[in-house]
Amino acid sequence: MPNSRLILQDAPGKRVLLLGNEAIARGILEAGIGVMTTYPGTPASEIGDTVSEIAAEAGLYMEYSTNEIVAVEVAAGAANSGVRALTAMKHVGLNVAADAVMTLAYVGVKGGYVIVTADDPECYSSQNEQDNRYYALLSGLPCLEPSNAQEAKEMTISAVEISEKLELPVLLRTTTRISHTRGPVTYGRLVKPNLKGEFVKDVKRMVMVPANARTMHVKLLEKLEKAKEITEKTPYNAIMRKGNGEYGIISSSSAYNYAVEAANLLELDASILKLGMTHPLPEKMIAEFLKNHKKVIVVEELEPYLETHVKAIAKDYAPNVEIYGKTKEKYFPRKGELSTRLVAMGLAKITGKKPPIDFEKIDAAYAEIAKTLPSRPPILCPGCPHTASFYVIGRATGKKAIYTTDIGCYALGIMPPLKIGDILICMGASIATAQGISKTTGKDTIAVIGDSTFFHAAIPGLINAVYNNHKVVLAVLDNLTTAMTGHQPHPGTGKTGMQAMGNRVLVEKVAEGCGVKYVKVVNPFKTKEAEAVLKEALQHPGPAVIVFRAPCALMTVRDKRRKGIEIKACKITDQCTDCMACIKLLGCPALTVDEGKVRINEALCVGCGLCASVCPYNAIACSKTD
Amino acid sequence: MDEFNMVLAGVGGQGILLAAEILGTAAVKEGLNVRVSEIHGMAQRGGAVISNVRIGEKALAPTVMEGQADVLLGFEPLETLRNLRFASEKTTVIMNEERIPPTELTAKMLKYPSLEEIKEKIYCFTKNVITIDAKKLAKEAGNILTRNAVLIGALAATEKVPLKHEHIMEALRELVPAKYLDVNIKAFKLGYEHVKSE
Repeated sequence: MPNSRLILQDAPGKRVLLLGNEAIARGILEAGIGVMTTYPGTPASEIGDTVSEIAAEAGLYMEYSTNEIVAVEVAAGAANSGVRALTAMKHVGLNVAADAVMTLAYVGVKGGYVIVTADDPECYSSQNEQDNRYYALLSGLPCLEPSNAQEAKEMTISAVEISEKLELPVLLRTTTRISHTRGPVTYGRLVKPNLKGEFVKDVKRMVMVPANARTMHVKLLEKLEKAKEITEKTPYNAIMRKGNGEYGIISSSSAYNYAVEAANLLELDASILKLGMTHPLPEKMIAEFLKNHKKVIVVEELEPYLETHVKAIAKDYAPNVEIYGKTKEKYFPRKGELSTRLVAMGLAKITGKKPPIDFEKIDAAYAEIAKTLPSRPPILCPGCPHTASFYVIGRATGKKAIYTTDIGCYALGIMPPLKIGDILICMGASIATAQGISKTTGKDTIAVIGDSTFFHAAIPGLINAVYNNHKVVLAVLDNLTTAMTGHQPHPGTGKTGMQAMGNRVLVEKVAEGCGVKYVKVVNPFKTKEAEAVLKEALQHPGPAVIVFRAPCALMTVRDKRRKGIEIKACKITDQCTDCMACIKLLGCPALTVDEGKVRINEALCVGCGLCASVCPYNAIACSKTD
Repeated sequence: MDEFNMVLAGVGGQGILLAAEILGTAAVKEGLNVRVSEIHGMAQRGGAVISNVRIGEKALAPTVMEGQADVLLGFEPLETLRNLRFASEKTTVIMNEERIPPTELTAKMLKYPSLEEIKEKIYCFTKNVITIDAKKLAKEAGNILTRNAVLIGALAATEKVPLKHEHIMEALRELVPAKYLDVNIKAFKLGYEHVKSE
């Protein structure tokens, strides 16, 4: 991340390299946004993290909210007090926020309000790859889709303007490749954020009882008509190049970049209509484009959102144009992310042109290499307290229980040799799915959840367990941070988005407050004690909560490095019999085997001492074993 | 220049993303268009990490196409092999010799292939291969974490990348924390000299 000084520079015209998400953060500063809320989630996290670093100095309010719906509601309050606001989240976060978003569309806003949804085609770091353009369609909110970092910044500002003009929240939809690609960004002028709001009471507009909701639904439809005028005129919807009239390509977002490069690769003389505002779509512009071409190819990632609309428009305005996409003949995939290659292959099939690169030859040569290549999936880091927790959970249950798991690093507990994790759906699902499983199977059921996820979504599920007396154990793996998304604070840490101390909320106090009778806190690295506690919890007749508390290893190591404290790796002593217990029990990446001998990779080991505590021969020396 | 494509690949924790950002920043300083893509994977460490750096006016897409890399900068031998599909006879492969066995290899008690075996496989794609013990040179520079700077130095020494040294150094100065700057500059030079002396 470039240092915050760079993002904060009031230097119009300056050109810097920014990550898509950093460009959105810069857009927040250039749009004069006063309130930014978020719940971290890949690929959206760096928007909030960047703003958090500079919020105090830039004079805006930033918070990590407990979850996405809370984030939207806080921002909706600010925006309805006339302050410009923005909320950022990953695509599935919008599911959590959807209840608020759907009706906020009726209520509308006074200050401009932007909701950033970062979609994740290919599920690089997500449980699904839903296409959130459908949320724009479902809710009636306008939607902008940038295709690079520069546009991500510009569109953040435009989204605020459109929102204020229509008095309607606007969606800014990125994908992983937009959020996590760096590109040159030219700065505009910074706008001083206005944080001072005034709430003007207007019951008919803002209190969505049925009678008012009916009226405001009509109002929303009127706003959408106005949005249609905007989408026909916006420079974000434009013909980027003109071809000879045979082929036309319609595309948006990342897919647009692939489409241009693929057309260049094939030397295809096609017109390209780029859509940056994809809800509502510019019907007239699309109709004109359809009329001017014999064949139109829709290139888009994930669902056939554009294609469906383009076909509907064609029916009314250009019934004879041939339309190619991913629905009838599947020229492009409907799953996963696109690439220049995939788009080129689709275009080649449609146009009969031959790509100049022999992909099949490359694939064949690579297949030879790949077949002997061991995989390297993401794994729990060396020194990760979750490894200790999973070791303890496995020991206490003989790996015979059912383990429901949740969203976070600890989902990697499914990897051998730990193998803890039997069902994973969404944030907070572990605790409630455990109840259904326990009720119907009568088996020991342990729900695993992280600290940040606990605050985000587990509390209603936990209250349900108490209320309906479900016999489940909730293991909260509390590493004192939101680790997977980049170490954001959460209620359990007490630190706020303004980089100040707020009030700390403890998992165990919440659990007790929810009425859980068995609540204990353990240190996962004290494996024997933790194991005894878990065994006791499993005997408890009702729901039990165990907090496994130890800080994230990456955080510990970073702190030590900052303070200049030496990180001492563990050492194998000559007591070692190469029994492989450490290897087979833990799967720590710092433990390796060379010519039948156990070795410790000094560059990776952080000296947590877990291997020493499981070694049957006391053959691993560690300076720290607690 | 239309486009210059680089693939950086290795293991989480090796400083791959920072290296890519340094190259991308140098490109902006050069006044060029650039795309630097990265995937922030599930785990912060230990997983395979790949970043693409594409420089030039024609570079719009974030990723390099199969066979189209001008440079494959491999931070780890097996990860170099894993990304060979981006290489072809025009590619220069710069590979760190530091072996980090994947846990699958450890769990199955399999042997990590020898450097010779690995090179043989690379030769099926390209003959332009430079190997370097970046871990050793980084230690020599004073900090094992500077192996990315060693590799950037090695890359600069090939004179294939369309970036001036002064811009790379300027980017390094901007992006590396001040207290580690000297060791990083030293590491860059060691990488540079290693390739020049070969």
